[in-house]
Amino acid sequence: MNLYQSEIHRTRRRVLTLIFAIMAGVGLLALTVIMWFNSSTGPTEAQLADAQEIADEMNGEYEECASDENFFEDSPDWSWALEDEYYEDYSHEEMCAEFFTTGSEWVAEDFIYTYTFHLDREGVYIIMGAVLVVGLLAMLLSASAIGAEWTSGGMANLLVWHPNRLRVWGAKLGAALTITAASLVATAIVAFGLLYLTASVRGEVGNLNAVWWEDSLEIISRTVALGLGMSVLGASLAMLGRHTAIAGGIIAGYLIIGDLLVRFASIALRIEFPERLSLYTWVEAWLLGRKELFQWTAAGREETMVITSTDAGILIGLVIAGFAVLATWAFAKRDVT
Amino acid sequence: MPPVIEISGLRKTYRKRSRKPHQALDGLDLEVAAGQVHGFLGPNGSGKTTTLRALLGLISADGGSMKIFGEEAPARLPHVISRVGAVVESPQFFKHFSGRLTLQLLAESAGLAKTRADEVLEQVGLRDQANRKIKGYSLGMRQRLAVAQALLKQPELLILDEPANGLDPAGIHHMRALLQWLAHEQGVTVVVSSHLLSEVQQLCDSMTIVSNGRRIVDGAVDDIIAGHSGSLLSVKFADPAQLTEAKDVLTKAEEQVSVTAEPNRLVVTGAPEAAWITKTLADSGIYLSELITETKNLESVFLELTGTAPQNGQAVQVGQPIQTATDPDAAGIQIPVAAPVGADSAEGGQQ
Repeated sequence: MNLYQSEIHRTRRRVLTLIFAIMAGVGLLALTVIMWFNSSTGPTEAQLADAQEIADEMNGEYEECASDENFFEDSPDWSWALEDEYYEDYSHEEMCAEFFTTGSEWVAEDFIYTYTFHLDREGVYIIMGAVLVVGLLAMLLSASAIGAEWTSGGMANLLVWHPNRLRVWGAKLGAALTITAASLVATAIVAFGLLYLTASVRGEVGNLNAVWWEDSLEIISRTVALGLGMSVLGASLAMLGRHTAIAGGIIAGYLIIGDLLVRFASIALRIEFPERLSLYTWVEAWLLGRKELFQWTAAGREETMVITSTDAGILIGLVIAGFAVLATWAFAKRDVT
Repeated sequence: MPPVIEISGLRKTYRKRSRKPHQALDGLDLEVAAGQVHGFLGPNGSGKTTTLRALLGLISADGGSMKIFGEEAPARLPHVISRVGAVVESPQFFKHFSGRLTLQLLAESAGLAKTRADEVLEQVGLRDQANRKIKGYSLGMRQRLAVAQALLKQPELLILDEPANGLDPAGIHHMRALLQWLAHEQGVTVVVSSHLLSEVQQLCDSMTIVSNGRRIVDGAVDDIIAGHSGSLLSVKFADPAQLTEAKDVLTKAEEQVSVTAEPNRLVVTGAPEAAWITKTLADSGIYLSELITETKNLESVFLELTGTAPQNGQAVQVGQPIQTATDPDAAGIQIPVAAPVGADSAEGGQQ
């Protein structure tokens, strides 16, 4: 317990932790500011008046055309229509109707773009995104907590104090998970608070009923669980490579290049449902609860493959557990030189 | 009282795919008695650090047995580690933390009071630098911090690998005083691996000399020096022309005596005592003008025992003994002896 607590304190006192915390805070504030300025509950009176003027002008164009038999002859902008064979059989009224909207169809709202943020419809996905980004930071922090210990030589020092390596690894992993969980939950709560405030003032909160809470909490819980898994993965890779950069390199390499290569290979090899080889597919299935993949057979029939959150959870869990077991074995057996 | 550290037949071979296996320890034995400052001496690559790493569970041994406070290491190490403070090889710390924070975190991890950090910083003379980040510390300051972290637990056994590295003369003096105080006043058993022979001679009560992963000799420092100093006597004459005659007289008088004539003196070894030379020469009508008994220091004993002493006409690499032979008087202990001048080396390492 002492070791676990000191590991938490060690991580808290690191400069990287402070930098990541500031980044996360600034990111949440920036998100709020963007939402705040993009969203509005409706147009102002002046905006409405301006838009109505445009609508009236548009609607008036038909009337002007219909009332003036020489509209096309007299208008340099429209005289070309009389020479176009396509409109040869059109009556004057029909031509007016062809080019201008009839019957005062334009309304003011057609000329006003207003985005209204609806917390009940969009909030959970924005919170999920924020938690995922902070999860990535937490993964790097966990990897760094292990990697920096190796590169600074502090690991040998620590093992001289605590020879039980499994206990040391458990304490470090436990501390990383605790800090990750706290960060992700805090992010979700703060993001919800800021979005609620934004929706209350500049948008619509909507109906946050029991069903909404149940669905939202399920999605956010799965996102937090993914963040915890990412943290374990980062720490395990750093433990295997004994360096933060190795963990970061492997993760970034896979996310950017590896997944692309897998997709190319799956297409080249004509594998059924090639998207199932992409990690992103499984992550999406896990987060959203379900993912449907489609493909067309040679006979022109559509086939569907469904990946449930359980399928995705098992696969992602096995990958993470595999790396964690490998890291545990390596740490227990390796010489610390 | 049983030894604090008992190591017997310790073996370790480092294997890497692209390299030849390197046998770092070849049946090493080590015993350290309680309440002493014990020196652990050996040339570079002789296995000192490997031994300490194995003892502290940082690396696995291929064979042999180790005990600390009578408990098997590394299996029972977690049960005795609270009584052991150690620094292995160069001190390494997270450079962005201050010295105080580093020690406080270690203290916390072992359930010690955080105030211990300030106490040990005071002990090693780092109190004024406690809040500085370690990246701003000199090597000597890091060395002191390493010793401070080893002292945090108020250990009964203190293991320090090259503690004087990077310290200035005042720092070395302070460290020596501290370690001797710990051993002789506080009853702490101190094991110091070092290549600073004069330091070991001044600091240690007993020592073990290792070479090529094996123990060469161990015992009290004074006994080891005395046991290998022999009776080396320098004899001078008022008239250098008498050197040849005196050499003949001494050689004929006693079979075991070996005499080497140098330009202005004779070097005599194996003489029963100094007075025997005076009497033997006087009986032959030769009177000496100077007779000096030369005592070996630890350095010459170390170089002789580890076979790393420079040889005439040869450049000997440190840690590369020329040749070894069994000294019948040393109860089977391997004593390196000098190879003949110009002898070829099979490994080519002594050219």
